[in-house]
Order: sequence, then structure tokens, then C-alpha cells
Amino acid sequence: MPNAIGIIFANNGYACLQGLAQERPIAAVPFGGRYRILDFALSSMVNSGIRTIGVVTPHHYRPLLDHLGAGKDWFLDRKAGGLFILPGVMHSLAGNNHTFCIKDLEHNIEYLKKDFVENVVISCGDQIFNMNIIDALDFHNDKQADVTLIYKENDYFGDLTDEMFLEMDEDQKVSSIRDQKGLEWTESGRPHYVNILIIKRELLLDIVGRYSSFGCMSLISILTKNMEVLKIYGSPTRSVIGTISTINDYFDQNMDLLDQEVRERLWLGADRIHTKIVDNPPTQYTLKAKVSNSLIASGCSIAGEVLNSIIFRGVILEKGCRITNSIIMSKCHIHENAQMEYAILDKAVTVHEGNVLKGSLSNPLVVHKSSVI
Amino acid sequence: MRKQECVAMLLAGGQGSRLGGLTWKRAKPAVSFCGKYRIIDFSLSNCTNSNINTVGVLIQYKPFLLNSYIGLGSAWNLDNPNGGVHILPPFLGDSEGSWYNGTANAVYQNYEYIDFYDPEYVIILSGDHVYKMDYSLMLKFHKEKSSEITLATIEVPREEASRFGILTVDGDARITKFTEKPAQPDSNLASMGVYIFNWSTLKQALIADAGDYQSENDFGKNIIPQQLNLGKRVYAYQFDGYWRDVGTIESYYHANMESLSDGHFLNIFDPKFRIFSNEDILPPHFVGSTAEIKNSLVCNGCIVHGKVYNSILAPGVYVGEGVQINDSILLPYVKVHDGSVIINAIIGENAEIMNHCVVGAEGRFAPDQEGITVIEDYHIIPEGSIIEAGMNVNRTRTI
Repeated sequence: MPNAIGIIFANNGYACLQGLAQERPIAAVPFGGRYRILDFALSSMVNSGIRTIGVVTPHHYRPLLDHLGAGKDWFLDRKAGGLFILPGVMHSLAGNNHTFCIKDLEHNIEYLKKDFVENVVISCGDQIFNMNIIDALDFHNDKQADVTLIYKENDYFGDLTDEMFLEMDEDQKVSSIRDQKGLEWTESGRPHYVNILIIKRELLLDIVGRYSSFGCMSLISILTKNMEVLKIYGSPTRSVIGTISTINDYFDQNMDLLDQEVRERLWLGADRIHTKIVDNPPTQYTLKAKVSNSLIASGCSIAGEVLNSIIFRGVILEKGCRITNSIIMSKCHIHENAQMEYAILDKAVTVHEGNVLKGSLSNPLVVHKSSVI
Repeated sequence: MRKQECVAMLLAGGQGSRLGGLTWKRAKPAVSFCGKYRIIDFSLSNCTNSNINTVGVLIQYKPFLLNSYIGLGSAWNLDNPNGGVHILPPFLGDSEGSWYNGTANAVYQNYEYIDFYDPEYVIILSGDHVYKMDYSLMLKFHKEKSSEITLATIEVPREEASRFGILTVDGDARITKFTEKPAQPDSNLASMGVYIFNWSTLKQALIADAGDYQSENDFGKNIIPQQLNLGKRVYAYQFDGYWRDVGTIESYYHANMESLSDGHFLNIFDPKFRIFSNEDILPPHFVGSTAEIKNSLVCNGCIVHGKVYNSILAPGVYVGEGVQINDSILLPYVKVHDGSVIINAIIGENAEIMNHCVVGAEGRFAPDQEGITVIEDYHIIPEGSIIEAGMNVNRTRTI
């Protein structure tokens, strides 16, 4: 059992994902057939042996609380420790990026004060990853670091606007944290910080005490300011797959799951991704079903054609319908002969007979929750 | 401890030897059914859906997997502070201990457990039946008739009646005659092996039965006929849903396959009466670009590259490229490697079929057990093997 508690900021990320994150935070957006994005951060911590985890709530937190419940599905319904809901501040300001905001911590200072552990693992809730934090914690202890930032050797050449890059000496000690300004594209291969860090609990309490009067400051900017006095180290990971900040990120990272190698890295290893259990029956294929290269969750009834798609739980696809390169969330009902291509259907959408929905790879069509087409 | 109105005693100790290789490692109630379920899920979910939250599970044969599967019963919402699921193995008493010697004896040995909850009624259930039933309706019937013992009954086809305990009722549903497996059945009303007793009646009956050295200590064979002879008020509650005893390879196979047919009475998709199960946490199943799945049930965690027709794939099954699976049941974590053909077979849990095998090939002789081939749990079939239809492949017989 690691000497650490966890905090997940489920309120970071400000994208609306063309409506998918309109009524729910990014952390609660369904992903990969049966999960919510938060499941990945939560399961990574649980699989690392952390059994006290606080989740900082975002603006629209109802779907999040609905999903989490008492934390039973993550083994967090415990006598001591377990799941803590930490109400985030500034509920009224959706659309701000509150990455590791000190105000949120100050608001929930009891959570940090009443535990006795040495370290706090902090993660954001909008990344898709399956990572065992134990190695980083060992590294953190070996180096007697105040803070350990998890970084990734960048192989990602997409939007770097929000990325923070680390400069480190041979001993992995971080000498600077900077954003992409002034960096050339060719330099983007350098280590970038992935919004997961380990910090000494006492230090975190100290920081919150000192900076709480400054309003909405992010933890990273405080660490950057105090680079000289703190022992900040960087620990690499190979497991992070990506942040979801645009609808294209969302679409691409779902579609990446059709790749066997990605699935093996993400969820076929020893560490499983846990999620709310619904106890659905198996998926039923009829004689008319024709499915190819697709990921299909339980409880579906399939009579149509599915190609390169992701189908969530309890979806009904009637005969003659044709789903290509699409993401269909749970409880959608697609009637006969409807067709869709590059579409993302939010939960419980009904598409009536013969309708055709078409988006494109660069601009997938998003249909809002419970729409009837 | 709060007094319970009704305590369930779930008989889950049977070896299920007629299921052959499927019960090599586990008791019959722990055998996988219809993909994601295990047989005991049905009885436990029925209890939950009937508001019975105190369930004693009587176990004896190879209980480890069953115990770990049931756990605290939280998967069935039975982790209740006033009751819960309790595993009741044979134990050592003051003077002596013994194995459970018959179904009635198992309950008799645990009378202190029932007394502890001091219930009005005790419902006796069997852990190897597949059905959805609201026991609270049966309990209501029991109370309305001021019955002392109520048997759940179901109409069975006349030609099969001699396989069951058959009873005759008068106009008020009171049972006048009960015969276990009669050669000449005089009705087609069969006992389902679900009984509600007044606890006081059951207690007396069990004590009397325990003193009778000629008794086989069985509910169907001894307790019910004895109580009828004593003139007790014994009533028949007629159940008209789907009910299957899955005690043999044939009945197990057909009950599974029935879930693929359209007019399936055991509606596992019904959200109002859900069957819960303690499933492994697995990702959605993946269907590859060379796959073809028709008229089948597929569970989470499967990876399918081959052709699957009229079959059931339980969680975590792997089907390689060029594989053909027809009319078969693949239990959890079975792996079928490239180019193999499986016809009309039941493949036991964690079994592995290597490349280019044929399971269920047409043989020289007329096959046994309707040609259903059974591969035992954890068995590995070496590359290129050909297994004839109707064979039971298990440890003692090498191929």
C-alpha cells in the first residue's frame, strides 16, 4: 500500500466537445464503449494501491456523482479512507480552466489535513491513460523529492497550446517548466508534463496556506515560481495516451481503440480499468448482423451493419441500418435502414427509419443527448 | 439481530456429476450459463427481486470457486446489514460432525442458523435451476391458503413427467398425492424443487426425519410424502414462467441454446427483473475485420476474428482467424486458435483449442448425448486434433 492519497481534479479541461461536455464535465464523458474518461485516472490510482481518493467536482457534477456513487466499483467504499467528494469552488464559472487550482484545495483543506500519509498524488480527470504510479512513487522517495512531475517523451505533434515542457539535468532534476512559446516545432520532441504529479503532503499544505489569498492560482505556476527552493524531479511514463480537449481528440482516441496494440496497452494488461457496473446481458447478434472491426459493449441487440465503430452498452441496431466510423453511446436506438458515417451519437438518441447522418473525419457530426431524428 | 419473516436456504452442494468435465473444478451452481451468468445467479437474483435478504447457501462439493464467486453477496445486492448471504459448509458440532447426507439433512444440520433469525417461513431453493420467479407472490399464496407447506409447481410435457416429482391436486390446489419420478404419472404437474415451509412445521419434520434411519433425508423423497401422510396442509403454487433444470449435458446445452431463440421466455433483457452476476471487469468485445457473427450472444472481453454462428461466447473468449464455430457454447476465457472448427460442442472454462483442430467431427459410430461434445475446463487440445462428436474430453481419457 503506497504512502499516498490521491486527488483527481475532475474540473479541469474546458472544451465543450461540440456539446458532449455541455451538460457534463469532460471527466464524465463516455469513452471506449463502457467507460467514462474519469475512470482512467481513478483506476490508475486504485490499481496503484491508493485507497483514499478525493475527486474535485466540476461545474456540472450530477453525472459525475451518478457515476461514482459510493465508489464501490473502484473498491473505494471503505471504513477508513475511500472516495471523498471535494466540492470545487466557482461552480458558476464553467469554461475556465482550473488546472490544479489552489482555491479548490483550500476549500477542501480538511481532506489534506486529516490524513497522515506523506505524499499526495494529483491527477487531472480528462486524460486517457492506464498507468501504475508505484514506480514514480518509489522514484519520488529515492530522490527525497518535494515534487515529482510525470512527463512523457513527446511523440504527439498535435496542438501544443496547453502543453508544459520540462528541462532536466542528468539526475532528472527539473530546472525549468515552460510552455510552448518560443519553441520550434522540431523541439516538440522534448519531455512534456502530463498533468500528473506527486507532492509531499506537508509541502502542499504549506503552499495552500501561503497562496490561498492570491485567488485562483494553479499549483504548477506556484511550483514554477519556487523552482529554486524546491526539489522538483521528473519521472517518465510510457503509458499516457492523451488528453481530450477537442472533438477530434475524442473521436481519434476512441477510434485508436480499434488498434489491438492500443487496447493491449490501455486495458488488456494486468491493471484493469474499472467502471460502474450495470449488469447487462450479453450482446445479441441476429442472423442479419454484419459487424467488422468494431468494439461492442454488452447488452446490445445488433441486426444491422457495423463497420469501424464503437458501440456502447444497450444500443439497439435494427435491420438494414448501417453504421460506419461512428461512435454510438449507450441506449441509442437506430431504426431500420438508417445510415451514419463519422457520427457521434450521445446517449439515448433515437434515429428513425431511413435517416442518413454524415460527418467527416475532420469534422464528425455530433448528435445531442436524447435527440430524436 | 432483526427477526426475518422469511429465510432462504439455497441447496448448492450437489456435485453435478452428470455435467462431466464442467464440474471438474467447481460445484454445479458455479457453472457458467448463457454467457455471462453462473447458474446460481438466477436463484440469488430471484431472492433479491423477491425482497428476501437472508440466504443460507449450503455447500459441500468443491466449494472454493463458488465461495469466492458469491463473496459477500454484494453483486446481488444481498450485502444487507440485517441479513446477507451466508455460506454454510458441513461443520463439527459438540459430539460429532458429518457430511450433508441429503438435502433435508443439510437443512437439519443448520437449524441453528435458521433459528437465529427466528423466521415465520423458510423457503428451500435449489442452486441448479434456471428461472426467474418472484418468491414473494408464492409466499402471499402460502399465507392466503394458510398453508403449512407450499410447493412451486410447473406443467411439464406428459412424456417427460416421469423425470420429475409429480403431484395431484384438488380443486383448491391442495396436494393430495405426491410421487417422486413415477413410472405412470397421473398428472403433468411437476414440483420445481422450491418449497415454502412454516418454520415450525419444517423444524418438526426435520427432527422426525433425522430420527428415521431408513430415510434418505431428501425433501422430495421423504419430507414431502411424510408430511402429506400426516395430513398437513400442503398446497401447490402454480408457476407459469420459464424454468429449466440444467442437471445434464443435454438439458444444459438446450437451455443455453434456447436463449438464442426469439420467443425466449427467460427474458434476460428485462430491466424490471434483472439477473445480477458477479462479473469480471472486462472491456467491450472486439470484432475483427475478418469476423462474422450471426444469431449469437457475445460477452465483454471477447476478441473475435473468425466465424461464429448460433453460438454463445462467454466473457474473455478468443476466437482466432479462420475459425468456425457452429451451435456451440464457449465458457469464460476459452481460446480457439486459428483454423479450428467447433461444431455442436461445450468448451469448458479456460480450455484452449490449438490451431487446426476439429471438435465435434462426424465419427464412425452414432454419437452419445445427442452428439454434443464436451471439453473439460482447463483442457488444452493439441494442434491438429480431431475430436468426434459426442465425446467427453477430460483428464482420465487422453486423446
